[in-house]
Amino acid sequence: MTKSLCLLLCLAWLSLPGLADERLHFPAAPSDGEPPLSLIVHGALDLPYVKPVLEDFHRRHPHFELHYRNFTTLELHRRFLDDDEEKADLVISSAMPWQYRLANDGHAQPLRTASAEAWPDWARWRRELFGLTFEPIVIVYRRELAERFGAITSHADLLNLLETRHQALRGRVVTYDPARSGAGYTYAIEEVRLSPRYWDLVAALGGVDAELVGTTGEMLEGLAEGRYLIGYNLLGSYASDFIATHPQLEMVIPRDYALVTQRLAFIPREAPHPEAARRFLDYLLSETGQGVIGEQTSLGAVHPALEGPGTARELRTRLGDALRPIRLGPGLLATLDDLKREALLARWTREYQRWSGRPRPHP
Amino acid sequence: MSDQGSLYRRLLAWLLLPLLVLGTLMLVLAYLDARRTADRAFDRLLEAATLAIAEQVQWQNERLWLDLPPAALEMLATSAEERVFYALFDGDGHFITGNARLPGDPRGDSEAVDTLHYRNVDWRDLALRQGIRRTRLEDWSLRERFEVRVAHTREGRQALTLALFRGNLAYIAAMAGLAVIVVLLAVRSALAPLTRLRRAIRARDPRTLAPLELPLPRELAELRETLNELLARMRRVRANQERFIGDASHQLRTPLAGLSARAELALRQDDPRAWHDALRAMQSTSASTARLAVQLLSLTRLNNPEATPELQRLDLNEIARTATRSALSVCHRDGIDIGVETTAGPVMIDGIDWQLEEALSNLIDNARRYGARCITVRVLDAPATLEVEDDGPGIPAEQRLMVLRPFYRGRDGVEGSGLGLAIVDGIARTHRARLVLNDARDGKGLRVTLRFLGDHQ
Repeated sequence: MTKSLCLLLCLAWLSLPGLADERLHFPAAPSDGEPPLSLIVHGALDLPYVKPVLEDFHRRHPHFELHYRNFTTLELHRRFLDDDEEKADLVISSAMPWQYRLANDGHAQPLRTASAEAWPDWARWRRELFGLTFEPIVIVYRRELAERFGAITSHADLLNLLETRHQALRGRVVTYDPARSGAGYTYAIEEVRLSPRYWDLVAALGGVDAELVGTTGEMLEGLAEGRYLIGYNLLGSYASDFIATHPQLEMVIPRDYALVTQRLAFIPREAPHPEAARRFLDYLLSETGQGVIGEQTSLGAVHPALEGPGTARELRTRLGDALRPIRLGPGLLATLDDLKREALLARWTREYQRWSGRPRPHP
Repeated sequence: MSDQGSLYRRLLAWLLLPLLVLGTLMLVLAYLDARRTADRAFDRLLEAATLAIAEQVQWQNERLWLDLPPAALEMLATSAEERVFYALFDGDGHFITGNARLPGDPRGDSEAVDTLHYRNVDWRDLALRQGIRRTRLEDWSLRERFEVRVAHTREGRQALTLALFRGNLAYIAAMAGLAVIVVLLAVRSALAPLTRLRRAIRARDPRTLAPLELPLPRELAELRETLNELLARMRRVRANQERFIGDASHQLRTPLAGLSARAELALRQDDPRAWHDALRAMQSTSASTARLAVQLLSLTRLNNPEATPELQRLDLNEIARTATRSALSVCHRDGIDIGVETTAGPVMIDGIDWQLEEALSNLIDNARRYGARCITVRVLDAPATLEVEDDGPGIPAEQRLMVLRPFYRGRDGVEGSGLGLAIVDGIARTHRARLVLNDARDGKGLRVTLRFLGDHQ
């Protein structure tokens, strides 16, 4: 069907810009005692984020020969189902519904280690699929906006601002196009489930003719250049790194609710080196591996024993119930339903065009 | 099961084996029951999920349309995190949407509106429980038929089955334990009288042959009665033996006392003639005493039930001739006419030659002692028979059974041990022959017949 093809194409936009098919390779160092082990990791996770983890793992286990290849989520998914492509030992991707579907269809094999058993229930499915990171979806705006209209701290603030200042904000707001971006579509579905008021927000976004783009990267670039004042629904992990070098931007995790997405990892049933894969995934789930993720990347560590900046625990204490991690369950399968997608996009477009050509009620 | 081995073990095996089979059967049934119950409980989820999906099916853009409620899928996954599959098919079996092209309802088309069917399927190596709801749109004019198929893996059901089964397992184990204990006690108490009987027998004085007196259940009372009968027989046998020994020692003592008295008398005299007479008398007495001892010995040997002498084929004619020949000289000296009548052909039986010769010589000797003048040894065929006939005084019919007892003597004053006929009787019994005492053919004298039964060929 053309629709499912279209859906798959949208996966392409899930990952940030960056060259497809990037590689990292750590050769096995001669080591006494342990025989060299090979490990092939396929991920939709850019090299700067994955490198610290691989380096740390390789320093601890030099007898591993590590291959990491970075793909877009679409390419990753396509390669996984293609029998002629190289088989991976571990697949990491931010496309949660797609990863869930693969595991649900029985493509994953279970990991039974102490770390896996201790992994929080909300961040895993069976013993097969593990959420390694904790990445909130954020709002980014320019400082000048805060100076003119006050800071945005929640969805309600944003809705209010869009409705009251729609003249000033026309064309200056950017968000995901759910029709083009798998990530944008996933967030839309989740937000609809959270509250019907989401449709008001979509209508308000339509009211200011918000720009619809495909990636967080595009939004960040436009914000940095000053084309946009507000960016809605950006991937927090990428945004926080970008903001560190762009002081004119402000990032906020909405305090009324904030979606949280996770990178899901599983070991394929046909992994060529399952033992090595188990060792590496166990490391990723261990306090050590999670510590590296929390301290050296902006991805957010999930491990419940870790505290401090860059951990799920710190975010939870700061934001409490507002955090809404995307639930790792069969509900994700509904996200991938073709008719569901058509229905949602139709509704989304309708709501987006709610005020076009009609007089707006004045708040 | 062999006839050896323990009765206790045999009873236990016959009681516990069926119990084991029964227990296994109960376990299997309990498991199936638990599984059925778990399936019933979890099938409610399939029912609810198919209903939730079916309610969202609409007619839109000229086709079936579904706004899939995520909750419908969420409810199919319990805490066991089942894998979940769903699919929507139209009335013609065309796939509309879903995450798996699940197999359809095997029942074929049915016109019934809104039916629900559960079944177990193996799909892509997964054991699934499937629910299929076949229903149709209830629009103003549209009556489009469609089918909602959902399925999930069995982990949750398995967990509930095991939990229910474990509960039943405790009951069944307790019952089985109780049953085993009861069986053990029952077998033990049923076999207790047997132990009592064994102890009673073991505790008896080995010399006593008194009957057993102890209360026993009916089955063992029969055994006790049989034992008591055996004991009574043994008492009789022992009485017979004691009498025999008494008689035998009496018989031996008399001539020995005579010898002693004779020797003492002779020693008091100085006349060598008297010594000579005394020695002659003593020689005669000691010879007859020796003969008595020999007879006692052979009688004892014949009565010994443990001795089973080897039988061999032999010809009665041969026996008769040999016996007659060896008696010939004695009879000739006494002036007795002895003859033998044999058959034309050999008369073969299984027997012991020296015993039969002894029997004949005893009979001849008896006839000679009791004053026969003419003795005939006869062999008859069909049936094989040995006969000794004499023209002596004979034995009155009423005494003919008595004379077979040891130490019985028909007439006093005749020299003899009274053992001869008893020995012949013993030999006859060894050869399974019948011993009959009759009048002689001419009415005067005695005819003793040994008729061999059965084995004549």
